[in-house]
Amino acid sequence: MLTHLEMDLEQLKIKIFRMADYTMEAVSSSVSSLKNSDFDMARKIINNDERINRLEIEIDEECIKFLVTRQPAASDLRLILAMLKINTDLERIADLATTIAKETLRINGTPLIKPLIDIPRMSEIAVKMINTAFTALTDKDVEKAKGVIEMDAEIDDLNLQIYRELFTYMGESSKNISQSLSLINVAKALERIGDHTKNIAERAVYYIQGEDIRHQKPKI
Amino acid sequence: MNDKINVKDVSFFYGTNRAIKDINLSAKENSVLALIGPSGCGKSTFLRCINRMNDIIPGTRMTGDILIDQDSIYSHKYDVTSLRRRVGMVFQKSNPFPKSIFDNIAYGLKINGIKDKYEIENTVEKSLKSTALWDEVKDRLGKSAMGLSGGQQQRLCIARTIAVQPEVILMDEPASALDPISTQKIEELIQELKQNYTIIIVTHNMQQAARVSDYTAFFYMGELIEINKTEMIFTKPDKIMTENYITGKFG
Repeated sequence: MLTHLEMDLEQLKIKIFRMADYTMEAVSSSVSSLKNSDFDMARKIINNDERINRLEIEIDEECIKFLVTRQPAASDLRLILAMLKINTDLERIADLATTIAKETLRINGTPLIKPLIDIPRMSEIAVKMINTAFTALTDKDVEKAKGVIEMDAEIDDLNLQIYRELFTYMGESSKNISQSLSLINVAKALERIGDHTKNIAERAVYYIQGEDIRHQKPKI
Repeated sequence: MNDKINVKDVSFFYGTNRAIKDINLSAKENSVLALIGPSGCGKSTFLRCINRMNDIIPGTRMTGDILIDQDSIYSHKYDVTSLRRRVGMVFQKSNPFPKSIFDNIAYGLKINGIKDKYEIENTVEKSLKSTALWDEVKDRLGKSAMGLSGGQQQRLCIARTIAVQPEVILMDEPASALDPISTQKIEELIQELKQNYTIIIVTHNMQQAARVSDYTAFFYMGELIEINKTEMIFTKPDKIMTENYITGKFG
């Protein structure tokens, strides 16, 4: 039988997993809205951001209450500290999804200067990263969490590639500038989503084994 | 920091019952070591081994050795009276003598052969100031110590302990019977005292252990399960048993 402390922790986990689901949906739909010029979907993402903001506040309040009333230690403490930070990262990811949705509205159905291939690829990787980070958290799987950190490099590479490509388009014709800047914004938002997800994976490692792996330079 | 106390393979027996088993640990000079663990795990028994208070309990025996500054306190040559002077003790329940506040502190000095009135007065004042009690009692030093509040009595007992200038102070749940404000004063005091003394404290309050100690040792069923820096014990313990205890899963 679960103790009250364990039940409180489970409730918090359920909330943060729900928030992760909403966030993944927002990221994936934002790029679909861009690809399909689906303005209804874009508006829905922007409107739904409010429920993610509300969840962020709720989770923060519950974590603070848990800290004050339960005074957790060891893995319970690490989980709460990780959740407080993951919560912020998820909210930022959702904000970045609305940035993408706003670009869909700004482009306003103008024919795309090139078929979207790399941006949907970035979005797929980002959603997979979020999903894997949360599986790692549930399964307490450090290797899986570290795998997420490695996936971030792929997103960074794609961002650079998109930037270079769009830069060329802008050089070719001034008519391409406006849309190229929008798409650069989208790619940059996805790159930032990758960074926030990397943070989530790092917090998962902290929760699982108490090790802070942030800001570690890769071994050369 | 140097090791002040070294405990080597210490076991303690009540008759045939082995209450603590092969304990090995060290306590650093000018630090606070907290002993935590469920009731009956042997932490108080262990604490009392450090000033040989268990010696007087019939039918008990200890094996192993405890060294203070590399001197074996269980050596037959070691003078127990001088040990008690070096190692003071504060108990769960404050136990002032039924005498005046002044005499409570002066008593230990007198039995240690100090006769100079001024020296005694100075030491009484200094001890009461060290325990942040001076301002509260300076106008009634001649009044009975029994009239003080529980928290004040406990601080008086600490003042009485430090008056004879020990090197080590053992505390057995010193704040467990006190209200939060008095507890906070005792905890503040522990932080101050560690500048000059090595302190070992038994506590059931894990937050207290986390607040006041530099090192924490977790005992379970007479065994030392884990000892480490307090920060590590409370955020990332090595042993699953420690983890389960401090997260309230048992004990």
